[in-house]
Amino acid sequence: MSFFPFAAVVGQQELKLALLMAVVNPAVGGVLIRGEKGIAKSTAVRGLVDLLPEITVNHGCRFSCRPENRELWCVDCLATKDEPSTGHRKVRLVNLPLNATEDRVAGGIDFSATVERGKPLFQTGLLAEVHRGILYIDEVNLLDDHIVDLILDAASSGMNRVEREGISFCHPCRFSLIGTMNPEEGELRPQLLDRFGLCVEAKGNADLDERVLLLMRREQFDRDPCSFITRFSSRNDTIRQRIRAARAILSRVRMPAGMRVFIGELCRENNVAGHRADLVMEQAARTMAALDGDDEVTNNHILRVAPMVLIHRSREGRPPPPPPPPPPEDPGKPENTTDQAQNNSGQEDFPETDGRNAPQGQDADSQNDRQQTRREQEGAGRKDKDRPEQDGQEQAAQEAEAAGTVGNQEDQLFDIGPTFSVKKITMAKDRVVRRGRGRRSRSMVSQKQGRYSRAASFGLAGDIALDATIRAAAPFQAERSGSLAVRLEPCDFRYKIREKRIGNLLLFMVDGSGSMAARGRMAASKGAIMSLLLDAYQKRDKVAMVTFRRDRAEINLPVTCSVELAGRLLAEMKVGGRTPLSAGLIKGYELMRNYLLREPGGRPIVIILTDGKANVSMGEEKPVDEMLRLATAMAREERAKYIVVDTEEEGPVTFDLSGKLAAALAADYFKIKDIQAEELVHIVRETQ
Amino acid sequence: MKEKKRNYPFVAIVGQEKMKLALILNIINPLLSGVLIRGEKGTAKSTAVRALAEILPEIEVISRSPFVLDPDKEYEQYLAICAALGVEAGPADALERNTQKVQVIELPVGATEDRVAGTLDLEHALQKGEKRVEPGLLAHAHRGVLYVDEVNLLDDHVVDILLDAAAMGVNTIEREGISFSHPARFTLVGTMNPEEGELRPQLLDRFGLCVNIRGIDSVQERVAIMERRVRFDEDPATFCDRWQEESDRLVTRITMAMELYNEVEVRRELLHDIAQTCLEVGIDGHRGDIIILKTARTLAAWHNRTEVQAADIKEAADLALPHRIRRQPLMDIPDSMESYRAAGTAL
Repeated sequence: MSFFPFAAVVGQQELKLALLMAVVNPAVGGVLIRGEKGIAKSTAVRGLVDLLPEITVNHGCRFSCRPENRELWCVDCLATKDEPSTGHRKVRLVNLPLNATEDRVAGGIDFSATVERGKPLFQTGLLAEVHRGILYIDEVNLLDDHIVDLILDAASSGMNRVEREGISFCHPCRFSLIGTMNPEEGELRPQLLDRFGLCVEAKGNADLDERVLLLMRREQFDRDPCSFITRFSSRNDTIRQRIRAARAILSRVRMPAGMRVFIGELCRENNVAGHRADLVMEQAARTMAALDGDDEVTNNHILRVAPMVLIHRSREGRPPPPPPPPPPEDPGKPENTTDQAQNNSGQEDFPETDGRNAPQGQDADSQNDRQQTRREQEGAGRKDKDRPEQDGQEQAAQEAEAAGTVGNQEDQLFDIGPTFSVKKITMAKDRVVRRGRGRRSRSMVSQKQGRYSRAASFGLAGDIALDATIRAAAPFQAERSGSLAVRLEPCDFRYKIREKRIGNLLLFMVDGSGSMAARGRMAASKGAIMSLLLDAYQKRDKVAMVTFRRDRAEINLPVTCSVELAGRLLAEMKVGGRTPLSAGLIKGYELMRNYLLREPGGRPIVIILTDGKANVSMGEEKPVDEMLRLATAMAREERAKYIVVDTEEEGPVTFDLSGKLAAALAADYFKIKDIQAEELVHIVRETQ
Repeated sequence: MKEKKRNYPFVAIVGQEKMKLALILNIINPLLSGVLIRGEKGTAKSTAVRALAEILPEIEVISRSPFVLDPDKEYEQYLAICAALGVEAGPADALERNTQKVQVIELPVGATEDRVAGTLDLEHALQKGEKRVEPGLLAHAHRGVLYVDEVNLLDDHVVDILLDAAAMGVNTIEREGISFSHPARFTLVGTMNPEEGELRPQLLDRFGLCVNIRGIDSVQERVAIMERRVRFDEDPATFCDRWQEESDRLVTRITMAMELYNEVEVRRELLHDIAQTCLEVGIDGHRGDIIILKTARTLAAWHNRTEVQAADIKEAADLALPHRIRRQPLMDIPDSMESYRAAGTAL
């Protein structure tokens, strides 16, 4: 297989440098490459394979023991070797595919050999293979939690302990992680994020000439890979030489005490959590010096690596400004205090991820240096984003007027009110995914869908993990006999444990009656719904919408993933007429029940926006009584979570019918004036 | 012997020229990495993809191996696979080879990941007590077309596998006690109805080209569709025979374009145009540039030219860019670059 040569990757200096550092010094702790799609993230990593240096290992050892360090030898080496027998091999770059199962990552029983020998034999997994090497995970943010846990465990202890399938085994396991991810697809768990020593934010190249160069190189490579690789082989050699030289002098690079102070100050100023940043930065700076062929770390080395070390740890989240202060200087105090303040507010929500991937704001910012035209567009975009807030207020005023003049029976159309900052929603996404995972485990029991990540001796009947079952049966085959090579007994059976990310269903039941037209309530409600839709867009939630007005309820939007469609419908939604609340409740309930039949593990969140003034009933009862009776019945569906948003106007006489509705539904209850639309989003988040 | 089921002929599809062109370009040049067809129900999306089977060219493969390997270029991989399977591989010069048509492999929406990626051969495991890999759909799809109907409804974890494989051109299996990898370079063809939800951005980007299609407005053409369909349903064999000649002409033209492709040259200033266009509209990464260039070259070959013209670039951009434009949330994928620009100026 021929890979695009590392040296031929155009631009992406930071990215290339970070990868080289990880190769030169494993103590740097690996690299995380974040960036949009199609910017040579994976290409660069694969090109790296060709540049990896050699290490010495105990000959034939499957755990790659170091010959010189007898205390750390694995059991195999201790048992079979008296003398170290030195062999050489290249550092490995082990690719961890997303669909890997636990037994292949950590290792498990080797069933072929076990059947043959009649005693459990260990088959090494990827974690053994990667010892002293590099573990490469493409799209690392999509990796299953369970596998992430295994890797974190091994990474923090430097050992891989296997206690499963009747095997107890332990082997050394030290590796650097290289991961690539596209933040659009979701964020990384903070623990895993912290494991990556360095982080690089890569962007597409904005330079016209470089883009053309890139195009030409790619085309030449696709036409004739062999001659292309030959053309770049000498440049690859140069890099290989540089790596070798750097590795040779790395241990001699000195770190003056003053520089340590500088590192400490940099880390403090950027508000990093814990001390890993300091340690990583020291290693990174030394590596940088080694790559430059210097034997002493200087300011420049530190400044060069600081952004890579701090970017994913700084609680501000923004790329730290290329830190100007020379070592002995008073760190800017006033800045610090503001940092602190913001910090506190954001602390519970993993501040590291805060804002950095806000798809609009931040991305737009980082792209700004691209092109004048582009900048203008973005600028216009941002203005648009700011404007709705004022617009919303003006609108509210206008609508209040309008409500006074326009009769209740007229249909009106309101624009979507202000939506709120994408930044907060991003934070929510991060958090919801994590909670979603917790819930996932409950929902997966009832379904035979999802990714098979491991096996256990209990589980859903019929979902047998045959591979694990055979492994469990393997040691006993010598005692059993039959026509098949492998004879299974009930006690051998293992079942699949699957993981699945389930999106939520957000079901909106919106009062479209004339009373909603007053005081910009509809605009505000639409704004709130829109914000939730934007949130759902990123999480791939499903949405549905029911409105009730005049004499009936309608399903405007059946359960769908198409948030685009929902957004369009929302903009077109009209207001006017009476309030058939019970019809609305029933329609919504039907929709929800059908959804739950298909997705028994689902947790619909039902958001009812109304003033509760039901004035059309379906049967003989009074409208309000009917509404309350239905609501009480609906409350029995335990899987659903209800939220009632009261849109009733404050005044001398209030009926508080929505309050009663909320009580009947056992719902969370909020007044529209209390809910800044932002709070509604928070409410939904909490219930998730 | 039962007569084989006939597919509606590709050439007999009325209208939908853009979709047909996109599919043909992908046959000529598999490096375009696929096409996404977005459109409402009943617009001949699936018919067109199924009909591809008839007009696909032939390739040489290594016999008696499910991995569809190229006997000349992938001998090394063949050796590695044989070693992993414990099968003996012949020497390179005595390799058995045969030719077969490029295949369209259908990936059903409900497919489980073990069937997609490959898994443990259970029968073998139980009978012999040995583990052996049972290749999945991705192995069969190597060098072929992987067709996903309703691609937007595909389970997330299956999408992840596709992404992994598409990124590397290699499918790596590390599951159920098996550690194995094989080449998996395929043309990904997906159809979807956007009303049911959009694609994940990362997957969207993997499709080289994207076309939006709608029902046809012209009454005449609608009548033609009905007539042809009825005639096909009544007597598929005769219908297909009637279109055979045109089908053959298309196959010949495709084969010629494939031969010509490597000779197609691009002037440097046109490369500038490509990069400029991409910078202007603002797309993520560089895959857009690369695909435009390849598409333009393929277009030139399709029109029997050896030089890319500015018009080719424009047409290529229409196919390769709309789904790559950085969109505001909730913004639709534009039909063409012109409609995108028009919308941009209207705002």
